[in-house]
Amino acid sequence: MSVDQLSSTLAALADPTRRAMLVRLIRGDATVTELAEPFAMTMPAISKHLKVLERAGLVARSRTAQWRPCRLEAAPLGEVAAWLEAYRPFWEESFDRLEDHLQEIQKENKDD
Amino acid sequence: MTDTVNAATDTIHDADHDATAPPAGLELVITRVLDAPRALVYRAFTDPDHIARWIGPKGFTATRTEGSVTPGGAWRSCVRSDSGDTEYWSSGVYREVVELERLVYTFAWEEPVGTPGRETLITVTLADQDGKTMMTFRQSPFESVEDRDGHVEGWSQAFDDLAAHLAA
Repeated sequence: MSVDQLSSTLAALADPTRRAMLVRLIRGDATVTELAEPFAMTMPAISKHLKVLERAGLVARSRTAQWRPCRLEAAPLGEVAAWLEAYRPFWEESFDRLEDHLQEIQKENKDD
Repeated sequence: MTDTVNAATDTIHDADHDATAPPAGLELVITRVLDAPRALVYRAFTDPDHIARWIGPKGFTATRTEGSVTPGGAWRSCVRSDSGDTEYWSSGVYREVVELERLVYTFAWEEPVGTPGRETLITVTLADQDGKTMMTFRQSPFESVEDRDGHVEGWSQAFDDLAAHLAA
C-alpha cells in the first residue's frame, strides 16, 4: 500500500453514491440496509461501496452489536478540508491583486 | 433544496472571518464584490494578458499564462517568486464556459513540472450587483459539482453539521 491517506480518501470520495452514504452517516450510525435504502442498487453493489469507505478509514463497523452498524470516521475528512484550506492564501492574495488590477485599468481608461 | 446549498455556502463564508471556526468544509468558497463592470471582470478572468497581471500570491509574478477558454480547452500558467528562485506551474482544462457568467475548469499544481498533481474543480460565477460584480469562487476536489449538489442534502451542509456535532 504505497498510496497515501489523502489520495485514498479522495478516491473514496470521488463517487457520488459513497458521498451520499457518508452524508447519511453524519446524521448517525446506520445498518447496511438503512444505508442502502435511498439507492436503486443491489446489496452487493452497496457492500462494494461500503468496503471502499472502510478501506479508506472513513467508515468503521461495530464488531460487538449483532447488526454491525456503520459509523463515520471523520478524521480523514479533516485532512481533506485542511488540504483545500491550504489553497486559500493563494487565491485571497491573487484576488487582492485582481482588485488592484481592475482599479488600474479603469483609471487608465478614464485617463485616455 | 438549492436553498439548503446556498445557506451552507453563506455559513461557510461567514466562518471565513473567524479564525477559530472549524474546517470550512470540503469545498473552498471565496466571494468578493469587485468594483468593476461584469464584462471587465470576465475579461480579467479569461484574457491571458489580464490573468498574468493578477494571478499568484504576494511576492509572485506570472511569467506565463496561456489557454483556450472554450470547453475542452487546456490552460497552463507559471508563477515565479520575485526573488527568482521558485517557480510553480499549474494547468487544467476548461469544462464549461458561459460568457460573462460562469467558468468551470480543472486545476492542478504540476508536481514535478509537466506532471499535474491532485486535480480540483474550480467554478467561478459572476453576477451584477449595484454596478459592481459579485464574484463567487469555489474549489472542490470532486469532478462534478452537479453530483455534489444533486443529493437531497448538500454535502457542504452535511459537513457543517458534522463540524458542529464534533465541536459540541
